[in-house]
Amino acid sequence: MSDNPFPLSRDELLNIYQTMRTIREFEERVHVEFSRGDIPGFVHLYAGEEASATGIMAHLREDDRIASTHRGHGHCIAKGVEVKGMMAEIFGKKSGVCGGKGGSMHIADLDKGMMGANGILGAGAPLVCGAALAAKYRDKGDIAISFVGDGASNQGTFLESLNLASIWNLPAVFVVENNGYAESTSVDWAVACDSYVDRASGFGMPGVTVDGTDFFAVYEAAGEIIRRAREGGGPSLLECKMIRFFGHFEGDMQTYRAEGEVDEIRAKRDCIKSFSKTVTAAGVLSQEDLEACDTDVLSLIEEAVSTAKAAELPTEADLLTDVYVNY
Amino acid sequence: MSKISSTVTIGLVANPFSARDIRRVISNAASLQVSDRANIVMRVLSAISTCGVKRVLMMPENGGISSFLKRDLLRKQQLGDNCFTELEMTKTPINGTVEDTFASTKAMVDSGVKTIVVLGGDGTHRAVAKVCGQVPIAGISTGTNNAFPEYREPTITGLAVGLAATGHIPESVAFTLNKLLCVKINDGERSDIALVDVVVSTERYIGARALWRTENLRELFVTFADPEVIGMSSIAGLLEPVSRNDFGGLHVLLDDPEVAKNLLQVPIAPGLINTVGVQSWQQLKPGIPFTLRQSSGIIALDGERELEFGPEDTVQVTLYEKAFRTVNIGACMRHTGQHRLLVGAPLELLAT
Repeated sequence: MSDNPFPLSRDELLNIYQTMRTIREFEERVHVEFSRGDIPGFVHLYAGEEASATGIMAHLREDDRIASTHRGHGHCIAKGVEVKGMMAEIFGKKSGVCGGKGGSMHIADLDKGMMGANGILGAGAPLVCGAALAAKYRDKGDIAISFVGDGASNQGTFLESLNLASIWNLPAVFVVENNGYAESTSVDWAVACDSYVDRASGFGMPGVTVDGTDFFAVYEAAGEIIRRAREGGGPSLLECKMIRFFGHFEGDMQTYRAEGEVDEIRAKRDCIKSFSKTVTAAGVLSQEDLEACDTDVLSLIEEAVSTAKAAELPTEADLLTDVYVNY
Repeated sequence: MSKISSTVTIGLVANPFSARDIRRVISNAASLQVSDRANIVMRVLSAISTCGVKRVLMMPENGGISSFLKRDLLRKQQLGDNCFTELEMTKTPINGTVEDTFASTKAMVDSGVKTIVVLGGDGTHRAVAKVCGQVPIAGISTGTNNAFPEYREPTITGLAVGLAATGHIPESVAFTLNKLLCVKINDGERSDIALVDVVVSTERYIGARALWRTENLRELFVTFADPEVIGMSSIAGLLEPVSRNDFGGLHVLLDDPEVAKNLLQVPIAPGLINTVGVQSWQQLKPGIPFTLRQSSGIIALDGERELEFGPEDTVQVTLYEKAFRTVNIGACMRHTGQHRLLVGAPLELLAT
């Protein structure tokens, strides 16, 4: 029996911490840069929700595919999309992962299995049905995961995708990242029948609700659901109950949130703090390990921002590239 | 016997979030729909209304049960059914966590409810028992393992509760005293209770809360060991049955099945039979604190991982007899039949 009381090795735990910390620092820095007016378009930040993307993606292979939401930076980083290319993309630069033409809400990297963030709510779910159908035909054990928020979970595209995935028994996983607000509308007002597990049952698939601010809770549940999908058990739904540290979009005044709500969740429900506490208390990682990781991450983000700022914008000649694809 | 009308209030805690955990995928556990939970509440209300209870104080929640109830009760009102029990929510916060149950149960106790009906699994009942003091609990199984609450049609539970709360059934018949386990870390620096079982695992994280990996289990304490239930207590139940009314409980030393003396096949979750390694077991005498053998790990209470502890901590588990009260539904209904309490209508209400 191993002395490590976790389901991951020391190196894997350190890697998890690094991923969560990278997402956090990436988003905190985008928050600052956006306020300076250097970033075009809209950005929706994932800070506070890192345990979900990281806990799920820790089970994925490079050939597994995901379709993200408008709040997609965390999913990209956890799926292995290169951070400097992401930052350049968000700054709209030619060196970005989509040539600077996707920006925050359409950032994608097909080579990494990241089929894209999506400005259209619920639009990723049908894409995932297609990817999962292809995976089923390939029969190599790869799967596809659709992320939606609680707001997009009410879209017809999402509900139709649950139905399609169920009748075709697809290796698909539907993750509802329930942060409590569809933009500014509370989930209590907007989601009928309230339980996503009930919704899953309605489409003939199992559903599980987990604390999305607890990395190990997400990791355990996602592991079982993904294994089930790989083994031919069909689709499942995972609801991650979570919180966002920032507004729906950058610039959101958040008047719909209670006074002190954000301060309280940052203090008491920070998934990175709780992960750090758990792994250091068990003596598997030390505070020095984590601090060294923090230094590396800060350096990476700094470099990503400075290279993004210095990079070239797309030219007029780039306008018509990447528009059509030859099969 | 003097008549009363609306002085009897019953509390009701319906957890909308029970039976939503990982056991939906690691086993074939059911998940009772929110609308079904609301239907159960309506069945209970209908039964206790028949017994003359005019007011129910319920935990507010945002999981959907209240919305269904509001619709159904409005319909009854519009149909002219004004005899139906009045439903009122406790004025307590809604956070969607176990804190809601604590706050609401306390409000119910403070307002003098006669009994608290609980819809949930072992975890929900444990949360209510932590706060309810000597107010009896009537359990309805809507969780996953449901080792503590018994399976029964909720209408019958409602009738028994209604008749007991309105004084038609003597307290000596209606209510039963139960055992519980108390866990104290460092002389009470942290403490908690379990109604059925306390399990020690070598894991060091709470994770998805439910416990099903049996290779990491090292120690088990139970208040009762029923071979007819599933979950951790069934380990003890399959070794040496101890009933809810027997003196004491059971303490079982477990180990990795690869090194354990004995292997036991245990229904650890619905449809999931796992191998458990057993070293030995002994009676657990009440009132005597047991210090854990395991130096670090996690403690699961009634099947859910709750407390982490390390080598610097001292953890003690103590069994207590006669710790809290439940409504003995079977005894209540036998008394009802034997004394023909439901013959003739309407029921005469008794002072309590």
